[in-house]
Amino acid sequence: MFLALRELRHAKLRYALISLIMILIAWLVLFVTGLANGLSSDNAASIQYSSVDYLLLSKDGDQKITRSSLSGQSLNDIGKFVQKDDAAPVSIQMSTVENENKKIDVAFFAIDATSFLKPQLVEGKMFSNDRSNEVVVDRSIKEEGLLLGDKIKDELSGKTFTIVGFSKNQTFSHSPVVHMNVKTWSHLGRPYSKETMNAIALKTDKDTADKIERSYSEIEAVEKKQALKGIPGYQEEQGSLLMMIIFLFIIAAFVLAVFFYVITIQKMNQFGVLKAIGAKTGYLAKNILYQVFLLSSVSLLISNGLTYGVSFMLPASLPFVLSPLLALGCSLLFLGVALLGSVLSLYQVAKIDAIEAIGRAA
Amino acid sequence: MKAKLYLEKISKVFTDGDHEVTVLDELSLKVNEGEFVAVVGPSGSGKSTFLSISGALLSPSKGRMFINGKDLSKESDDKLNEIRLKNIGFVFQSSNLIPYLTVLDQLILISVLAGKDKQEAEVKANKLLDRLGLSHRVHHYPETLSGGERQRVAIARAWMNDPEILLADEPTASLDAERGREVVQMLSDEVKLRGKAAVMVTHDQRVLDLCDRVLYMEDGKLVENKR
Ligand SMILES: Nc1ncnc2c1ncn2[C@@H]1O[C@H](COP(=O)(O)OP(=O)(O)O)[C@@H](O)[C@H]1O
Ligand SMILES: [Mg+2]
Repeated sequence: MFLALRELRHAKLRYALISLIMILIAWLVLFVTGLANGLSSDNAASIQYSSVDYLLLSKDGDQKITRSSLSGQSLNDIGKFVQKDDAAPVSIQMSTVENENKKIDVAFFAIDATSFLKPQLVEGKMFSNDRSNEVVVDRSIKEEGLLLGDKIKDELSGKTFTIVGFSKNQTFSHSPVVHMNVKTWSHLGRPYSKETMNAIALKTDKDTADKIERSYSEIEAVEKKQALKGIPGYQEEQGSLLMMIIFLFIIAAFVLAVFFYVITIQKMNQFGVLKAIGAKTGYLAKNILYQVFLLSSVSLLISNGLTYGVSFMLPASLPFVLSPLLALGCSLLFLGVALLGSVLSLYQVAKIDAIEAIGRAA
Repeated sequence: MKAKLYLEKISKVFTDGDHEVTVLDELSLKVNEGEFVAVVGPSGSGKSTFLSISGALLSPSKGRMFINGKDLSKESDDKLNEIRLKNIGFVFQSSNLIPYLTVLDQLILISVLAGKDKQEAEVKANKLLDRLGLSHRVHHYPETLSGGERQRVAIARAWMNDPEILLADEPTASLDAERGREVVQMLSDEVKLRGKAAVMVTHDQRVLDLCDRVLYMEDGKLVENKR
């Protein structure tokens, strides 16, 4: 690309400024994406990072895990469809616990201590299925000054539990999850229901999930992604962040379009000369696209670097998660938007007449 | 002798708002090989319009034009583009160099556009620049050149693809008398040396003696003698 490279080299400042704008916008896009992702995991890590594929919920629960209620017998029949190890019942109750007059919002999860829903520990030990009143809590609760062996008192039931272990990536509705066994749960009384559970988590494929759904009139199998949306606050949060990201892309498209347009208008006379000496519109368009591609690629590399660089400096309380794959996807989309932004300029170039090269008599 | 450029009863009518202006009125002209023609006339008389049509930049309202015996009246835009690239060299009023290309690259660009070999182009460009006394400016950008140097680069660029005909629109307008004469002398030399043809529009009475023929633009026509 004879013209493209030489022009970039000659007008360094101008193109550096455009790159700077692109870097900043792309940085913002990547950052907000990382935050959206981070918030999502802060909100719902307990489900997002578990190996569950489908959740069996009651049909009257609007696909919301907190509203679903299944009877205890359900699991007995499930054995016909999946292996026992691949099905794990879970009961959930949002509550508040107290420790030395400090109140902390938590989510109680009652699980089988040996099922695949058991949390990954970072400290302490897992509770067993037969001892009561032992719990494992997400490590984020340590920020409230709680240590292994400390006791927490549940405000709803008035019962007290001992923390025997800390887990990681176990949050639900932005609250740390307190895992307990079914025995502890069954002694709590209302509103903790002994006879029912919220859901049965399954590790299975779509065919089996569909089969189960057809076999029970009152049960539906909800995919993990769909179930996430049913967690209180999840969809609203993700929705507004997604809106922000979409608007950022739209703004990027407009800003870049205006930039390229203004630059093209400035160069009208030059393009006229080029056409007069025999350059075809296609050749000029190729050079413009190549320039945009080059500028965007370099800008994206830098903004990716900035994003990851800054993400290391963020405080732990600011949730930020950006996988390389997501960053790549975002970058490619941005590249597409930048190229789209140059379309208006291409149209201008196509319209320019070679006659512009010869100034009209005044 | 063979006609390099032949215009046959060319008319050009511009519609300006609701009235029509006939700028060229059945203008005819023949320029032969090795001929250097000057066109003079008052401002607004249609000289640039005439030159644009000769250079296939503008299509006439009526009439036909031939370059090297080839009728251009019915060619497509893309084809005209190619004809401009291969057969016509332009020197514009202000040199109209590309600001971000060095003197050498200005010339090489022409070969790149024509899809020719870059190495060969470089050799050729260096030769041309040498002949026009620009060898010490090869790697300079236009902004660092004097007006005369820029105009000479423009002339070198116009010759780069060995065009049949060279068209120049007031090439000396931005130069002092001495430089202007030098530039026109160079045009004349090139035409004679290569057996090409050239048409130059000018206001500069002092360079007319370097041309083979002087034509006057009058009432939309070109005439040999001023009335
Ligand atoms: N695109 C156009 N539309 C309308 N009128 C034009 C256009 N181009 C030139 N003219 C008119 O044609 C006349 C001749 O212009 P031009 O050929 O540039 O004159 P010169 O170069 O001799 O000064 C002028 O009156 C000018 O206003
Ligand atoms: Mg003019």
